[in-house]
Amino acid sequence: MDKSQILDNGILEQYVLGELNMSEKVRIEAAIRRYPDLKKALEELESSLEELALENAIEVPDEVKIELLNQIKRAHSDIIALPQSNNKGFYLSIAASAAAILCIASIYLLVQVNSTNKALEIAQENNIELNDNFKSLNEQLVETSKWFEAINDPDSEKYILKGNSLMPNGIIISYVNNAKKSILINTEQLPKLDAEHDYQMWADVDGAMIDMGVINKEGSMLVMNYIDNAKSLNITIEPAGGNDHPTVSQLVTNVYLR
Amino acid sequence: MVQDQSLILRLQSQDENAFSAVYDNYSGALYGVILRMCKDEELSQNLLQDTFMTIWDKAHTYDSEKGRFYTWAYRIAKNKALNYLRKPESLIQNEDLGVYENVAEEIKEPIDILKLTGSIKNLEAHHQEAIKLVYYNGLTHREAHEEMNVPLGTFKSYIKQALKILHKSYVKVIVLWIILVELFK
Repeated sequence: MDKSQILDNGILEQYVLGELNMSEKVRIEAAIRRYPDLKKALEELESSLEELALENAIEVPDEVKIELLNQIKRAHSDIIALPQSNNKGFYLSIAASAAAILCIASIYLLVQVNSTNKALEIAQENNIELNDNFKSLNEQLVETSKWFEAINDPDSEKYILKGNSLMPNGIIISYVNNAKKSILINTEQLPKLDAEHDYQMWADVDGAMIDMGVINKEGSMLVMNYIDNAKSLNITIEPAGGNDHPTVSQLVTNVYLR
Repeated sequence: MVQDQSLILRLQSQDENAFSAVYDNYSGALYGVILRMCKDEELSQNLLQDTFMTIWDKAHTYDSEKGRFYTWAYRIAKNKALNYLRKPESLIQNEDLGVYENVAEEIKEPIDILKLTGSIKNLEAHHQEAIKLVYYNGLTHREAHEEMNVPLGTFKSYIKQALKILHKSYVKVIVLWIILVELFK
């Protein structure tokens, strides 16, 4: 639309008064943006009509404003109600965060529990091991105490059987208790034999050699069979498992009893 | 009158205090328009309320590039009043119950408040009438020129001249006011 056409035909006035249809309005607005003097003319028109209106203002009863403010408060609270659904989202996000934190905390705790469990298992294993150790130590103690008791018995007599030329470095310590009819030996310094041979102990009773038992290769303190009226203790090397009579040529040590 | 742009921006961001201030600034002027169109106080107050609710709801659609805020608000008020007046029911009711005549008669008495005052009174009678028809009676140029029984072109020139004179007088008032303000500073 031409600028002078707008000015001459009172179109600007009609625009201000809101008489134009949509397409006319759009064209006028485009022209106003384009021509600064149109814009200026529009501003003059508008301010004139505004002044006219202000001069001819009529006082409005206060109730109208009060009612309006109440209405927009209600409308506003409705509008605020919308963000409340956002609040829901907000709370949801808090809940989600809380859930996430809980989840992470749970995983952390689970890991902690697992590692604690492992530690506990290890501790339990250690405990079992310690218990076993304790048990075996205790057994050893009982055993040692028994030996100690037996050795220290006032009725116990100590005999040392020194090895002969067949067993130059070997020594057996024996404790004979005639009151309690028991005999113990310490085989710690007895040389090791091969798998096919065992040491066997014999008691000499009136010239007859009576079997006191095969010396166990394991262990260092052994209980042997007590034989009444034994004159001497003798040890021979015999085939593994022992022999029913001693192989005299294989006598490694002997001791006469008092 | 200089438009308070920050006030309008606050209104557009749904600031209730800004709304209250905008109401204080413009409600009288808009009520003046609506009441002169409808000539019924209760109805006009309802329409004014309706107008301000629309202003509140649609404030974000106001574009200061396209004109003054008051012009925008005026168009809303005018449309509300015209929509009511042109509704078939309101016409039928007026005819059936004779409300229209009653209103017209009622208005005659307290018409003083409806009489236009200020600078417009300095205009020639036909200029006053032309402005009154389009601005305060809500008639279109086409309706108004028929009402005044003058050709459309003539009517348009009435409006143009009237507004030009009004503008000059307002500028004078503003200049006077500025001088007074400067004097009393």
